[in-house]
Amino acid sequence: MAQAQHAQQPQSPPSPPSPAPHERKRVKVYELKNNDWYDRGTGFCSGQLLGGMPENPDARIVVVSEDDTERVLLETRISKDDGYQKQQDTLIVWTEVNGVDMALSFQEADGCSGVWGFVNEVQQRLNALAGPDDGLSDDILDPVQAIILPEPELGKLDEVEQAIRAASATPNSREALVKSMVAFISSPGSEPGPSYIMRLGALVEAAEKAHSVEDLHRLCNIIKHLILLNDTSLIEHVVSNEAIQGVVGALEYDPDFPSHKANHRQYLADTSKFKQVVPITNAEVVRKIHTTYRLLYLKDVVLARILDDPTFSVLNSLIFFYQVDVVNYLQGDADFLRELFGIFRDPPPPPSGDSNAPAGAEDDDQQSPKGTRRPLPTPDRVHEPQSGSAPGRDRKKDAVLFIRDCCAIAKNIQAQSRASLFQNFISHGLFSVITYALRHHEASVRVAGTDVLVALIDHDPGLVRNYCFQALQHKHKDPSKSGSEGPLTDTLIELLLVEVDLGVKSQMADAIKILLDPNSANGMDMLARQANAEILAKRAGQQGHGPGQQHGPGPQTPPQTDTFIQDFYEHSAMRLFKPLMDLAQRGVSGMKTLSVQETSLYTHLVEILCFFVRQHTYRSKLFILAQNLHSRIAQLLACPQKHMRLTALKWFRVCVSLQDEFHNRQLIQHRLFEPILAIVEETQPRDNLLNSACLDLFEYIKREGVKQLILHLAETYRDRLLRLTYVSLFELIVQRYDQFQAGYVPSSANGLDDSSFTTQEGTPRVVNGRQAFSGLREMDNDEEAYFDDIEDDEEVGLPIADGKGERGLPNGAASPAKPLVNYPEDEDEDAMDILASSPDREGGVIRKTFSSDEIAAAATDADAPGEDAMEVDSTSPSTQDHAERGRGRDRRPVPLEGSPGKRASASPPAEPPLPVKRRRNDEDEDELGMLMGGSKRRNSAASLASQTHHIELDGSVSPSLPKAADSPSEKEKQDLSVRSPPQTQTLQAKLQPQPALKRRGSLKTRNQGSSDGKFIVKPIALAAHAHAHAHATARGSGDGGNGNGDGTGKVQEGDG
Amino acid sequence: MSDLDKSIAQLKACRPIPEKDVRELCYKARELLIEEGNVVSVDAPVTICGDIHGQFHDLMELFRVGGPCPDTAYLFMGDFVDRGFYSLESFLLLLCLKVRYPDRITLIRGNHESRQITTVYGFYDECMRKYGSANVWRYCCEVFDYLALGALVMGAATDLQPTDTSTADGNSQATMPSDSDDIEIEILNSAGQVLSRFSRARQNNSQDQSQAPNPSSSPSQQTPQRNGAPGTGASASSRGSSGNPGGAVLCVHGGLSPLIDTLDKIRLLDRKQEVPHEGAMCDLLWSDPDEIDGWGLSPRGAGFLFGADIVKCFNHKNDLSLICRAHQLVMEGFKEMFDSSIVTVWSAPNYCYRCGNVAAILELGEDGSNAGYAPRANGDMNRSNGILAERQELRMGPGRRYRVFEAAPQDSRGMPAKKPVADYFL
Repeated sequence: MAQAQHAQQPQSPPSPPSPAPHERKRVKVYELKNNDWYDRGTGFCSGQLLGGMPENPDARIVVVSEDDTERVLLETRISKDDGYQKQQDTLIVWTEVNGVDMALSFQEADGCSGVWGFVNEVQQRLNALAGPDDGLSDDILDPVQAIILPEPELGKLDEVEQAIRAASATPNSREALVKSMVAFISSPGSEPGPSYIMRLGALVEAAEKAHSVEDLHRLCNIIKHLILLNDTSLIEHVVSNEAIQGVVGALEYDPDFPSHKANHRQYLADTSKFKQVVPITNAEVVRKIHTTYRLLYLKDVVLARILDDPTFSVLNSLIFFYQVDVVNYLQGDADFLRELFGIFRDPPPPPSGDSNAPAGAEDDDQQSPKGTRRPLPTPDRVHEPQSGSAPGRDRKKDAVLFIRDCCAIAKNIQAQSRASLFQNFISHGLFSVITYALRHHEASVRVAGTDVLVALIDHDPGLVRNYCFQALQHKHKDPSKSGSEGPLTDTLIELLLVEVDLGVKSQMADAIKILLDPNSANGMDMLARQANAEILAKRAGQQGHGPGQQHGPGPQTPPQTDTFIQDFYEHSAMRLFKPLMDLAQRGVSGMKTLSVQETSLYTHLVEILCFFVRQHTYRSKLFILAQNLHSRIAQLLACPQKHMRLTALKWFRVCVSLQDEFHNRQLIQHRLFEPILAIVEETQPRDNLLNSACLDLFEYIKREGVKQLILHLAETYRDRLLRLTYVSLFELIVQRYDQFQAGYVPSSANGLDDSSFTTQEGTPRVVNGRQAFSGLREMDNDEEAYFDDIEDDEEVGLPIADGKGERGLPNGAASPAKPLVNYPEDEDEDAMDILASSPDREGGVIRKTFSSDEIAAAATDADAPGEDAMEVDSTSPSTQDHAERGRGRDRRPVPLEGSPGKRASASPPAEPPLPVKRRRNDEDEDELGMLMGGSKRRNSAASLASQTHHIELDGSVSPSLPKAADSPSEKEKQDLSVRSPPQTQTLQAKLQPQPALKRRGSLKTRNQGSSDGKFIVKPIALAAHAHAHAHATARGSGDGGNGNGDGTGKVQEGDG
Repeated sequence: MSDLDKSIAQLKACRPIPEKDVRELCYKARELLIEEGNVVSVDAPVTICGDIHGQFHDLMELFRVGGPCPDTAYLFMGDFVDRGFYSLESFLLLLCLKVRYPDRITLIRGNHESRQITTVYGFYDECMRKYGSANVWRYCCEVFDYLALGALVMGAATDLQPTDTSTADGNSQATMPSDSDDIEIEILNSAGQVLSRFSRARQNNSQDQSQAPNPSSSPSQQTPQRNGAPGTGASASSRGSSGNPGGAVLCVHGGLSPLIDTLDKIRLLDRKQEVPHEGAMCDLLWSDPDEIDGWGLSPRGAGFLFGADIVKCFNHKNDLSLICRAHQLVMEGFKEMFDSSIVTVWSAPNYCYRCGNVAAILELGEDGSNAGYAPRANGDMNRSNGILAERQELRMGPGRRYRVFEAAPQDSRGMPAKKPVADYFL
């Protein structure tokens, strides 16, 4: 009684002079009109039995006017519908069969309960009557039950609309409404007539003939309203053969688009769109197919704009169930399947093709007609030598598309049904169909073939590998016979290499990747498939981080997959990557003339290789190193197509991030950073994607402190690096080198601090409690073992030592502490160091290696609000010295004294015990800190908030860089090189004797007023000066390592 | 008529172009986009637009309200695809315009320009439906990887040349600032009529700017007398944006990242990748401003929430006067927050064909100062004394002209619907 509730409640009638006789209860009659209770008058109410069978009484409520006893205010038959409600002791509210809400307001509660009792009694009798009958049909046919609607006629449409709207107000009447809509009205003694909806639909044509746009719009509104009642049975009725045309006909005239008319009827009437490759004999299934199609059409086209979420999901679930039914039927129909897959076997020149049982094993399929197709397919291959006739080809094409559709639908259905579908398909020869499709001359069929394959792999990669594996065994057993008909992978490889359709090509590349993805065992994740290799690799990488998880063909990969991958590297990899290897013959000059097809192929190959190098670290490494693919890919860096160069750059970025000594060694040996550096130099003045990609690569090397590469870079290209001053990055690399040369060996490669930024891909971090997706995994154990003896002597200084260290932690592999970004630690002078408050900065602070005496300190500090720590620093002179050294934040166990010039003399004595408080600076050097980092990060939100409040403002002696140089608004147009100081200046600064600076205390003025968001702006005039000063300060801070030199010139505090 | 122009014409009629044309287009676009930095520089004047979400007809309405593309320079802040029924046509049209008029239109990446998101929210399905294969989707996704992550608008005028059109309500303009005032914010309806107008709070030290300015003490002599329109921060108490005036405007789809404290750090990203699940690139595309202090977890599961303090620090540090972003539905089309230091612009009216919101675009005028390098007085002594270094300290937020518009009239768009599948077996 929703309307009754939001409408005003009827008022009680005025007090009568005297109580009426018991039989005659004084009452006011109300009718709901336009959401308002309309008073139909006051009178006396009685319940009357007007005869009828005792068990089917015609019981009525009658109200006779008190003024004129001849006038009947109300006479209504009590139905067994439960739409009567008693409210507030004196009110009875119900909905008439015509949908009108009525109310009786009694003067006295007695009278009300009397009538209420009567109603109940009658209803009980009525219900007892309905009980034994078969409820459904009775309900529908029961004229009392059904809502009485105006006859659907053109003139009465507004009444119909009103009645329907009124009836949809309450759940009960809505149900009744739906029943009366879909019920086939039978006039006595005749066939069931059309339902109400069908009769409405029939009006469309009449209205069209009458050119009554108004009626058409009204019809459309009515139908829309009905559909949005969101009732499954109604929607099913709507899409039935009988009703659909009328319904969509009405929906063609949308009043929202008065000047438009859709042509849904024509569209749906066109049955030619329904294709059958093999006729489906079951009429019910065919009906379901049509119904599904109509539902889809309704959902996507007719109702797309007006669908609300509930109706949308009702439609979707209907579609889903129909599809499940259809697919289940099809896969269970052996005859159908036999005929379907028989299409591919038709004229059987190789007798083996048909003589074998159709439901035979995969081996059988291997030898089906395709076995005769020896020659490698060529781009313009038109094969199918056996089935010469065009109709035959078309039929096969359709069959492929049909199977593709089945597989697409199968994606949505329950895993079990899907499994049995694929199983049935496979046993009937799905793989040979795929092979056929992949070699088809039409790109659309090839696409369909890869779709099917990918659906299959997604469902269960093991299944496909199993098949390939068997084919392989078969081949080994009888090599002469199988010929070019190798496993599916080989087919894919051949086709990838010759594919001309770039879209298909990339899909095939994806299929190869998934097929060879050792981690795709679950294979359920569609998203991952559709994402590019990047995501796939990252996902896999993340999985690989689990403590027990191995990547590559490790112990956890099913042995079959392992063998499969091994076989790939033994037999197929050479073929797949041959075009890359052949680049050797083209030389650098040959790179200038790459065609679109070639670049596309190389792009895919390099991307596949990127994927493999992460997934099959060990096997791919041997292959890559043996084939010297690094050099080949480096050649691509010279080609004019920038996207090609980007792809090649990505390769090196991936390799470097593996932090694998052997890869690095080869990069060094072949001087492969030369072309990358050349790109930096070439693109230096331009801020473009190529340049950013290069910076990202070098940034990674610097941030991770990949010593091997830093040594190489600085030794080989020192001058070139130092000439690249538009970002501080390269200078920092050289500085890092200088540190290495100074005899300092960081105990952790991560000890680099820097003030630049890059995404960290190496390890996952936890943000917001989410597990990071990260690019790489650590070496797996067997791989490690393999390389162990070689690495042993170098391990100390090698970056990979870091990874191992992490693994040693209790929760090693999950250690989240490595930050996305290494934040500058030296920026305490910076006025607005937002970063100081960033969570990642905290993360960055954490993952360092440590002297053990600091563990406790770190633990303490982790809890200390940053502000406290800083205050201590700035106010406690006794710790100042330490603080400064600590701020060197090289995470070096041994802070070096003085300027870099003196560095060499600083041999590593044991680090003196440090006051606890100043560990704040160094906590990041602790392994424990690393662990703490996780929790610290997680709870960092609160502390962050507080930290941002004490953003520190520079005093006038601020050592910040000039604003102008810093300003992004200038950077695009100015010569970028002016932004960072000339190298000489930096070097001079380095060499300046270290002033006994108390940075925290003297240079930084914390302005308590700053937290309100207003800032004192640094005078520009001081900028240049301040800049130099900044450098001096940075150098002076004790380590000379990396104090500064960032383009932004910030010297940032380590632990803000 | 070149092929490109043909494609544009066809797309403007909301008809998809053939697959091979899409491929060509995407390759051309790729070459162009490679040359763009992660943060593209854009000179004012420019019209900044927010999410489009495949509402093609509303995009056409946008062009009608804002002016046709080569005449007006546009900057679209991502989320071209998904949700609406014409993602393909919308994105391809924008891409065509980009290739045709590279300097007049800038596209940056939104969180929906990603393989994962588009597979879920409609673009993938739409491509499958319209082309029968995922090829076009792949081409487009590759272009997504090349899109810039942000843009920096420079040389925006600090005040608007008042539009000399009638006002929408036609009543007395007592509440409107007189023409002699600097107009900071002007809100127009789709017919170009002024809905409301706000003058800038002046600083009292206009005569001696060489003194160290102190924004915290700047009084507001002329506060707007009427409260801000919905969505503006220009209430009587906000004094407009007096905080950090005059710098560049950063446009980015989502917002800030805790990993990015300076714009230069954006440059160090290799953006050519699928939008990661985290990290700076993810944050730029996913974060939202919120009324909090510092950083907060984002309910979206990616990116962060960031408060006024973060925005103000960032703006100050990077000499920005305004951050302009999209990414969140705002019923009024635009919403200024944090003393006008950040604004959300939303350009998909009646989002999802049923949200009932209006859309807005933001016009930034040209300050005539040669992109900020050689400012010259233009008759307004308050604007500049010709000394760049000092003027920098006083720069005011750009004058902002919002044009608010509603969904394209139903009739102009045909019935929005997805294209039905053609043939079917099942």
